[in-house]
Amino acid sequence: MDSAETFPVRKPVPWRTLDTEALLVDVKGGLLYPLNSVGARIWELCDGARSVEEIVGVLAIEFEAPEATIRADAVEFIERLADVKLVSIERRRRGESR
Amino acid sequence: MAERSPRIEVAGTVFRVTGLAAPGRAWVEARYGPFLSRRAPTVTLEVTARERYHPGRTPRPSATWSNGHFALASLPARADGDLARRRVRFRSAPGPALNPDLFRLLCGFLLMQAGGVLLHASAVVDRGRAWVFSGPSGSGKTTIAGLAGARRVLNDETIALRPGPRGWAACATPFYGSGGPSMARANARAPLRALCFLRKADGFGHRRLSPAETVARAFPEVFLPKRDGRVAERLLAALTALATAVPAYDLSFAPRAALWEHLDGLG
Repeated sequence: MDSAETFPVRKPVPWRTLDTEALLVDVKGGLLYPLNSVGARIWELCDGARSVEEIVGVLAIEFEAPEATIRADAVEFIERLADVKLVSIERRRRGESR
Repeated sequence: MAERSPRIEVAGTVFRVTGLAAPGRAWVEARYGPFLSRRAPTVTLEVTARERYHPGRTPRPSATWSNGHFALASLPARADGDLARRRVRFRSAPGPALNPDLFRLLCGFLLMQAGGVLLHASAVVDRGRAWVFSGPSGSGKTTIAGLAGARRVLNDETIALRPGPRGWAACATPFYGSGGPSMARANARAPLRALCFLRKADGFGHRRLSPAETVARAFPEVFLPKRDGRVAERLLAALTALATAVPAYDLSFAPRAALWEHLDGLG
């Protein structure tokens, strides 16, 4: 995954945040996915306007952890969301419109 | 002379059941006896026809909802209706005149419209307030109902949770589990004390759940198919309201009456 040119986009599924956690419903499977505070923040940031690299940058400011760890965890988490089709992945160069 | 139409009240909704022949009426009055009501109906249920049975794999129940119209299926029985007109066409399968599986689905859907949820749970009233015990089959719902002693059991399988001006209430339903009809003897309700998600153990223990954990634990136990976006959205809103208003616990328990002393010690 080239994190500077990869733009994750949330699918329009029912979701909400409760305190710092998030709950997403996979309507196709009728399943609910609870996310912890880091997962919830990543989900919020998957708006299609930010690349994975930019998401990692935001997380590095907001959470105390080495950036390399945050990057590895964020990439893995976004790939898992893509696997269960809760996000789609757009690939484009920075500055290109959607 | 007009035929008498039975009225059934579940969690504040009064159904007037029309279109039944005499044997069907007799079956409904026997099956739903403690829930028969004389109050003014809020929903008319027209039992219109009987679906033919189609052998083969039974699809999962479904619920769809769009522009005030909804369709529910617990095949081979189906129901569809109009929320504004408060009328539902109910096409039962061969067998019971008012298919309990589909009727439960309908009650759950209408309760969700009122901000409530129909939960896979038992409930016991202790000193005027209801403890609700939820979990998948085999987790101990009926076992706990059997430990109630002199306390009132609201049901051992299906509990309606409904918000009101004085907080959330747990309501009895006619949809009992392995405890049989004795678990649905009275149409009663009580203010909700707490939700407990069960696990069987050799002793007693508990952990307070966060609101997000509560929603995550309750979601699969709600009697509604969740594969319609609007249904899932409304359900998520109802569960969030419940989870932020009512304490919830992960409860380990042994099948002994000392359970009630342990619950006394919870906050």
